[in-house]
Amino acid sequence: MADKINLIIDGKQISVDAGTSILDAAKQNGIYIPTLCHDDIVKVYGACGLCVVEGEGMPKLMRSCSQKAAEGMVINTSSQRVVQARKVALELIMSAHEGDCKAPCSLACPAGTDCQGYVGLIANGEYDEALKLIKEKIPMPASIGRVCPHPCEKACRRGLVEEPINIAGLKAFAADIDLKSENQYIPQMEKETGKKVNIIGGGPAGLTAAYFLRLKGHDVNIYDMMPNMGGMLRYGIPEYRLPKKVVDKEVELIQNLGVKMHNNVKLGKDISIDELRKNSDALVLAVGAWKSSPMRVQGEDSQGVYGGIDFLRNVVLGNKVEIGEKVAVCGGGNTAMDACRTAVRLGAKEVYIIYRRTRNEMPAEDIEIKEAEEEGVVFKFLTNPAEILSKDGKVCGIKLQKMMLGEPDASGRRKPVEIEGEFEEIELDSVIMAIGQKLDSFGLDNIEMTSRNNILADENSFRTNLDGVFAIGDATNKGASIAIEAVGEGGRAAIAIDAYLNGIDINIRKPYYSERNVTAETLKDKEKIAREIVPQLEADERKDNFTEVVKGYSCEQAEKEAKRCLECGCREYFKCKLLNIANLYDIDPDRFAGEKPTNYDGKDANEFIVRNTDKCILCGLCVRSCKEVMNISAIGLLSRGFKTDVSPAFKLPLNETDCNNCGLCVKLCPTGALTERNTMDKQVPLNEKYVDTTCNVCEKNCSITLAYYGNKIIRVIPNDETSRNCHLGREKLIEEVIKLK
Amino acid sequence: MSSKNGIDLSLIQDMVEEYKDIKGSLITILQKTQEVYDYLPEEAIKYISEKTSIPCSEIMGVATFYTQFRFQPVGKYMVMLCQGTACHVNGSKKIMKTINEYLGISDGETTEDGLFSLKCVACLGCCSLSPVMMINDKTYGSLTPEKTREILRQLKEEN
Amino acid sequence: MKIVVGQGSCGIAAGAAKVYDGLNNNLDKSKATLTFSGCVGMCYLEPIVDIYDDDKMTRLVRVSENDVDNICKFAQTKDYSLIENITISKDDEEFLTKQTRIALRKCGIINPEEIDDYIQSDGYTAIEKVLTTMSPEDVIETIKTSGLAGRGGAGFPTWFKWNAARQSQGDEKYLICNADEGDPGAFMDRAVIESDPHNLIEGMIIGAYAIGAKHAVVYVRAEYPLAIKRLQKAIDQATEKGFLGKNICGTEFSCDMKIKAGAGAFVCGEETALIESLEGQRGMPRLKPPFPAQSGYWNKPSNINNVETFANVTWIINNGGEAFAAMGTENSKGTKVFALTGKIKRGGLVEIPMGKTLRDVIYDIGGGIRDNKEFKAVQLGGPSGGCIPAELIDTVIDYKSLGATGAIMGSGGMVVMDESTCMVSMAKFFLDFTAKESCGKCVHCRIGTKRMLEILERITTGKGQENDIELLEELCFAIKDGALCGLGQTAPNPVLTTIKYFRNEYEAHINDKKCPACECAEMLTYSIDKELCKGCTLCAINCPVKAINGSVKTAHEINSEICIKCGKCKEVCKFSAVKLS
Repeated sequence: MADKINLIIDGKQISVDAGTSILDAAKQNGIYIPTLCHDDIVKVYGACGLCVVEGEGMPKLMRSCSQKAAEGMVINTSSQRVVQARKVALELIMSAHEGDCKAPCSLACPAGTDCQGYVGLIANGEYDEALKLIKEKIPMPASIGRVCPHPCEKACRRGLVEEPINIAGLKAFAADIDLKSENQYIPQMEKETGKKVNIIGGGPAGLTAAYFLRLKGHDVNIYDMMPNMGGMLRYGIPEYRLPKKVVDKEVELIQNLGVKMHNNVKLGKDISIDELRKNSDALVLAVGAWKSSPMRVQGEDSQGVYGGIDFLRNVVLGNKVEIGEKVAVCGGGNTAMDACRTAVRLGAKEVYIIYRRTRNEMPAEDIEIKEAEEEGVVFKFLTNPAEILSKDGKVCGIKLQKMMLGEPDASGRRKPVEIEGEFEEIELDSVIMAIGQKLDSFGLDNIEMTSRNNILADENSFRTNLDGVFAIGDATNKGASIAIEAVGEGGRAAIAIDAYLNGIDINIRKPYYSERNVTAETLKDKEKIAREIVPQLEADERKDNFTEVVKGYSCEQAEKEAKRCLECGCREYFKCKLLNIANLYDIDPDRFAGEKPTNYDGKDANEFIVRNTDKCILCGLCVRSCKEVMNISAIGLLSRGFKTDVSPAFKLPLNETDCNNCGLCVKLCPTGALTERNTMDKQVPLNEKYVDTTCNVCEKNCSITLAYYGNKIIRVIPNDETSRNCHLGREKLIEEVIKLK
Repeated sequence: MSSKNGIDLSLIQDMVEEYKDIKGSLITILQKTQEVYDYLPEEAIKYISEKTSIPCSEIMGVATFYTQFRFQPVGKYMVMLCQGTACHVNGSKKIMKTINEYLGISDGETTEDGLFSLKCVACLGCCSLSPVMMINDKTYGSLTPEKTREILRQLKEEN
Repeated sequence: MKIVVGQGSCGIAAGAAKVYDGLNNNLDKSKATLTFSGCVGMCYLEPIVDIYDDDKMTRLVRVSENDVDNICKFAQTKDYSLIENITISKDDEEFLTKQTRIALRKCGIINPEEIDDYIQSDGYTAIEKVLTTMSPEDVIETIKTSGLAGRGGAGFPTWFKWNAARQSQGDEKYLICNADEGDPGAFMDRAVIESDPHNLIEGMIIGAYAIGAKHAVVYVRAEYPLAIKRLQKAIDQATEKGFLGKNICGTEFSCDMKIKAGAGAFVCGEETALIESLEGQRGMPRLKPPFPAQSGYWNKPSNINNVETFANVTWIINNGGEAFAAMGTENSKGTKVFALTGKIKRGGLVEIPMGKTLRDVIYDIGGGIRDNKEFKAVQLGGPSGGCIPAELIDTVIDYKSLGATGAIMGSGGMVVMDESTCMVSMAKFFLDFTAKESCGKCVHCRIGTKRMLEILERITTGKGQENDIELLEELCFAIKDGALCGLGQTAPNPVLTTIKYFRNEYEAHINDKKCPACECAEMLTYSIDKELCKGCTLCAINCPVKAINGSVKTAHEINSEICIKCGKCKEVCKFSAVKLS
């Protein structure tokens, strides 16, 4: 077939051999057309409908996998009609695709940390790899691991069985090992770009942005008003929860990358936005929220009334804070807990928490509440300060309005309402108001603010009203939140700023992920394994000092805990063609929500291959390759229509068929319906790397691909006919290859 | 040649020999096998696979694709209720309900006494007599709930 | 005297076999011969017995076993009063006299199991003419002149397909007849095979000669056992007489024919799926191109036509392409057979020239709507077709005009609906059908039709959501554009046409949670008309949830909170006192 065919694809004049499909013609010329059911190794099939293209003068869309290029064709691979057709096809596929692309823990993490990944790596004893994975999202994992209120654990499905995995504890575990080691992990840095970024604020948001921007090769300067970097991690979290030396070490690692740090520099006083804008290519505002919110009650200005974060900061700075023996802390959040437990440690004899709802509604971590109780803190639930009583301008007590719970409010929590005429008075020496924190807008004169007086920043691009000025963290939009939120914004902003510095305008959108709806009922057959308790100081040992309460896991404990992971996320996440293509189109499968297949019981597995037909999109690649390439037909299509299923005959398990574990089906599967075990004990979704090589085990010199993670070969993938039919058998082959390499 | 489940494979031996080398005969072989056993026993499928060299997974793929094939023995009376358009318009849903209630079985099920099986089938082509059902090759048309009950009652009584 | 008992499948279902057996046992064979025919298509009058005496034919209708005695006596006495009460009425005769029959011309007249009957009625003259006087090109030219188009539904010009297969390289070619009549409301093909199988065989041999095929296959639905039996008998007879097999009619041309029985899959009516099925595979459509004319059965050039298409061929050869083309409209030639069913007075097979209107068929031939109800819509083309509303009853029957309504000509299913038919429920019925029959290969059909069905299900059970109509429409267009084969591409038609013409019904279901036709059970309220209720207690006794209160001889009442809307009360009430709203 020497004949050449001339056609135009996307405006590009192309010449291909006669008989070439449009799909191949496009591919040969660097034009990407998505497909999920086509592979050169098998005959064309045409199931997925993604490879459709529009031909000028042709009424119907064509499947480019089967349509041969013809002389004079004018093809458009991404017209609006084509995009719409692909979008609906993907939405339909996803609407019947039952699985979790990512584990709920990871999806719940505001920084998108691959929790399942590092937990799994720890389970396998791969601490270094775990740390590297964490550091892809969190530059200060030892700090964050200690203080994070871990939304991941709230989402953890182990919680539906008994208790969630101690994900935060495991993060701190991996990070501590790294901090203690001689060779701390330093990621690969890209070459210097010559671009300069100034950051105001050295808290979790600013430090994270600095870290990732520096890794991109930019020149980064952080300016901070406090004597040391760390922001609220250092000045808002008491020593007994997060020792300063941990923050120091992690800040130092960032500094070692070449991030220049300038302390005791106050915005609006020592420096100005204009100045910092002028001498940089981009400016990041990560100034935090450093003002305590007032309560607006009478007597608030009395001597002995302190703001929660002000109190904590002064304690860290070593400033003398007069709190006396009887202290009331108003508020139910983590700052309130930090304040009351700090007060205990400063020697207060009676410490009260004043909270207008009940324990169930308290936003503070349960463990914090529990430990505060252990340390003798008295909780006055359903009370609200009515007046701070004072004598000679100095606090002497508090008058509390008694409350009861009414109808649920917008947040779903029951709203506290006053019980008319019922009050209570307590004698006090000081009052700490830990009811919230606000931005100090000093020096932000030209920056556009929200109605709540926070910096207005675009949620996807982090841009402010000023060109080249970005804003992140507690100072922006909705105001103060948890540290990991700031870390997440810092990381995403770094991507946006890097793009900006390269002249690209991007919006960072949350990708689409398929998620299962799992309940306790779904998991009722899971074996119950109690959460590994982290060793820590008893109440008596800890309440008169600032020694870190939590001692951290031993290796043995950490691995045991990590092994409890239910492995919710799809192992094929990093390879999933379906997910990758789906996110090229702006899909919303929920509008077609309906019945999904629910056949998978986890039982149809052999020693290598795990089939989860609930994720199957019926592209037929496995069935066709098993028949057409391997001539085995271990699996086939069963039934028809929506009920079509891929299965061995009589629904036998794979190892009762002629399957030889060649793994071709797994390799071709465009999603996670077919996976194969790697050499690790605990199976983890890993972003493997590949290298093609020749097998030296016998003289046949078969072509194989090695999949490795870190420096470990974790899979050996046959690549030609002989290796797929290796006389050793797959298991032995892998063993032998790993021995050789 | 009787297998462990009491399936006498010799009953299909000659037929399979006759068709096994004629390409494209799988559906014919399955139809003739079902004529013998009234359904497709697993043993028979394995036997056909062995003789024709068509893998079991492919045979099952074909057999489960077509509604004609069954994998369980059926009742003495196979009630096939027509699901054609004319029958639908003329009230086949009511007949369906009547059968469900009278025999206590739904589509695809068999009564405990093994007497009746019910199957909803594609148009039987007797649209002018709709709604229609077929019981063991005999067609009953212009059904009403009463008429349906009467037909079933008579068949019950015969046994 | 000759007595002919019509024995098509539906005739037999109506009791024709019993009549035949009765006559066979009791008739004085010296006075009259007894034989049978297929189906004349007056299904609503089955069983039918035709009595030929000299040149006169008397048609007896709705004959039962009880009439056997009188017919036997009539054979003795020729006393017409004996059979007067079962003789066809003048009105009913119009059902046939208003038709123009080509494909069905011998159906119900000749004995389908006797090749001589066929031969005596000019059978096998066309093949002789073709083989002895015409080249394959001549045949194709004649078909081209006739304007014959595929009667399976799509209406593709037959000559074009024949010519493409003829032009394809290769000495091994196949001619295939698609008798997988899957439209759940059509039975023309079954009637042709059961009633005049030789006409089909002869048409196929002519087709085989035209394209150069030596092998012909008929793919028949498994649900048609009688058709398979009669066709096999006919093939055997034709082979014996030299009309099939080697050197047909003593010429060089040879062609064999065999039957393959389908196994229950509507999608096998799609030609590439049919080929897969013929090859013993799952009936999953292949991608086109390549088209079967280039690479079909066993990857050889193949031509596939449906039964009715072939049934026209002999007539065209004998009467000339021009005669056929003289009938019909500019874009649609010849006649078309319809299976007229539903809420119609006279249901059966109707063959009319293209160009007649729907009104001609439904009122003139079909006699209008049953039980004096209001005509609402007519469904054409089954799961691939659409509903045409009453206001379009004067639509001309040709490919173009019907296509313009959103429906299609289809294979010939014509289901008439009256005011009591819910159009949303009708759309759901068809989607349920296509979703069940989807082969599952392509995404759009496998998941798309399922999702459409789910939406229709929620609409008809009172759970419809605000933008469901738009969502349905979006899915419809996506499936039309994206599905792999004709089954999927046309599956949205019943929904699109009902939305187009009966959008208000959809809206009533979604917005008002009401089914205007009172068909969707979940949305109905049952009540008892106090005026009509005689207090017989039958409803209360039969109510499975004891939702009906009332004592003997007083009007009963239904407690709507307990009522599960099963309809039992309405079914048992002898006074029509149970009302729906």
